[in-house]
Amino acid sequence: MRGTALALLIALLLGLVGNAPAPTAAQDRPLVVALGAEPRSLMAMRIVDWTTNVQQMNIYDRLYYWDGFPPRIKPSLAAELPQTPDDLTWIIKLRPGVKFHNGEPFGAEAVKFTFEWLLDPRNESHYRPRFAFIESMEVLDPLTLRIRTKEPAPIMRYWLVDFTVMAPGYVRSVGNVEASRNPIGAGPYKFVRWDRDERLVLEANPGYWNKPPAIKRVEFRFIPDFSARLASLLAGEADIVKDVPPVAVDQVTRSGLAEVRGVASSRINYLALVNFKPGPLQDRRVRQALNYAVNVDEIVTNLFKGRATRIPGALSSINENVNPNLKPYPFDPERAVRLIKEAGYDPTKLEFTLDSPSGRYPLDKEASEAIASYLGRIGIRVRVVVNEWGTHLDKIINRRTGEMFYLGWGPALEAQGTIAELFRPERTYSGFGTPNLTLEINKAIPIVDLKKRQAAWHLIQVMLYTEAPWIFLWQQHDLYGVNKRVKWEPHPAEKIFLHDAEWVRR
Amino acid sequence: MLQFIARRLLEALVVVFLALTVVFALQFLAGDPVKLFLPTDTTQKEIEEFRERLGFNDPWIVQYARFLRGAFRGDFGNSLRQQEPALALVLLRLPATLSLSGVAMLLALTIAIPVGVISAARRNSWFDHLGIGATVLGQAIPGFWLGLMLIYVFSVWLRVLPTGGRGTWLHFIMPSITLAAFVAARFARLTRSMMLDVLGQDYIRTARAKGLAPLRVLYKHALKNASLPIVTLLALQLGQLLGGAVITETIFAWPGVGRFLVQALLNRDFPVVLVGVFLTAVLYSALNLVADMAYAWLNPRIRYE
Repeated sequence: MRGTALALLIALLLGLVGNAPAPTAAQDRPLVVALGAEPRSLMAMRIVDWTTNVQQMNIYDRLYYWDGFPPRIKPSLAAELPQTPDDLTWIIKLRPGVKFHNGEPFGAEAVKFTFEWLLDPRNESHYRPRFAFIESMEVLDPLTLRIRTKEPAPIMRYWLVDFTVMAPGYVRSVGNVEASRNPIGAGPYKFVRWDRDERLVLEANPGYWNKPPAIKRVEFRFIPDFSARLASLLAGEADIVKDVPPVAVDQVTRSGLAEVRGVASSRINYLALVNFKPGPLQDRRVRQALNYAVNVDEIVTNLFKGRATRIPGALSSINENVNPNLKPYPFDPERAVRLIKEAGYDPTKLEFTLDSPSGRYPLDKEASEAIASYLGRIGIRVRVVVNEWGTHLDKIINRRTGEMFYLGWGPALEAQGTIAELFRPERTYSGFGTPNLTLEINKAIPIVDLKKRQAAWHLIQVMLYTEAPWIFLWQQHDLYGVNKRVKWEPHPAEKIFLHDAEWVRR
Repeated sequence: MLQFIARRLLEALVVVFLALTVVFALQFLAGDPVKLFLPTDTTQKEIEEFRERLGFNDPWIVQYARFLRGAFRGDFGNSLRQQEPALALVLLRLPATLSLSGVAMLLALTIAIPVGVISAARRNSWFDHLGIGATVLGQAIPGFWLGLMLIYVFSVWLRVLPTGGRGTWLHFIMPSITLAAFVAARFARLTRSMMLDVLGQDYIRTARAKGLAPLRVLYKHALKNASLPIVTLLALQLGQLLGGAVITETIFAWPGVGRFLVQALLNRDFPVVLVGVFLTAVLYSALNLVADMAYAWLNPRIRYE
């Protein structure tokens, strides 16, 4: 009797196995990318959001993109890098013979339409302020667009990167709601289905201008919980998962099924020292001292297991405009104490509050605690306050943080997007600004000439280094868990462009 | 009976209205949502324009009036993050939640009621002790832990079940077990203690003395009389499940209401949050109404009063 029951149970379990999707040849199944959330919209050029943009670009393609290491701008839907015959004119030449998924031809009209769409306030596009400097646009021929700007706007070069293009005829005839529900682009993948909060299904576009994608069907699956995302990789369901925590690297490697592929991201992490409020942090010597007091290298080695790259200043090592001559502040606690005393303070009487997010950046809370403990060694008492992300951001925006806060910034592959966004006094993400710095930044922004521009940003980085507005930390490494049967390498610009992926041939 | 229902409906209306008002008021304490959904490089001027367009700059009384007028017509405005009608976004996720809660509740009751009844009938037997032990465990194990363990055992290790998502009946197994574990434990304990009470009553002894079949005594006479609190718990528990089994939905990537609402809450997507509160209040009120009607059916004394 018992034996029969057991046999039945085993049969039942085997039945379950039989019913599970049978493992098929790799080529037949979709490539699955597990993400934490669904796109906020599938309308091109509407929302600035990593998760949203990374899915959209597979459908729409982009004018330019960051390629290689260190990343440089390359044309994709454009035919060549933009020309600037004078400081106010931009000529964009487009790739011939490109068609949208519905057969509509791609060209200067489409790019012009996309610009007009995003500049129309009714469409509530996040990109509108970015391109507010556009004065007029003219289609010179079907593949050439001329843009005139109100003022010199060299940043345009970077805003055109990852610029996705919509099909004008389609959007005009079906309207925004339908166009975002059923998107048509010129990218390597066509839209198939979007099950809300479940999956976005795409299939290869055989007419893609570049060679047709090697992987025929892809799926973005939305798994909000990180452990579950990792489990889906380890179970062989997901093929690509972003942000494997350093502590889980061994687990992925041991699985035999997947591996961790890392890349030094352009995203930087820093500890901002707030100089807006009166107090010791308004003294440059104290800020420098804090840089000397923390052994950043040791944190990178021990806490991050080497999976972070130290930066000496405000820009990552792969930033186009990074000043290569800066060297990180050495670890020198004695000098730190000396500097603080010079500034007229007793380190053992200093008390700071450090606001940290938890889980937003790799090991953010742990890093904050490590920094606090280094400062504790020279007598400074630091209270670490861990915030839920929304609260953290709210505190920073409304300047309600403690004297220090932990934050990340990126992708940042050129200087203006970081320095001008962070170090002008009306910006709150760095907690730092001086009139002198603002002056230099405002001088650098309109410089169109690439060499002069480079020199200006280099100078500002030296100023920042000396001012020590942050404890300069590191560029984070993006760790992707990738199934071994997938040929795909992560890129510092944090893109998941699946045209680059292939199945490994066995 | 009709009057009874009408009165309860009116009460439900008041409950929904109050819930909405409270949440509407709370959103002013939660901080500014605008900067959370706009990109970080948006200028102050642009942020002001957004705020103006969304009506956040109006006096609260104007905002409240506009909100009530919209809510009355089923228009809660657009989601701040996704720029689509908030009500539609939430309703889209309702079937997923309904099906999962339904299956989980069915599973829980199928296990819990017999376990409770048998434990009570065979008090202090090995079955009773085992049952009690299991229910303590069921209530003590946190849902997220159980969920992850199931995933690791059945998906990662044995590879017989999908880690999450929806699609086939296989996708229901782990999330409904995770949900049912806790619920079943509560029901089993409640059933057992109610049955113990009832089984000590005179009319049960009488029924037995008359020579009725033991099973008939147990289920027809005892269980029916013990079932009032069980129905109450059922209504409450269903309300909780429908409001969204947040943790289970998150871990198993189940595209339900709870997971969506918590994301909305974290992102301060107020229109979505308000829709969530509205639906939850409506569901709770409806379930309570049904529970009250069920009492009347189960216990004629309530009907006659």
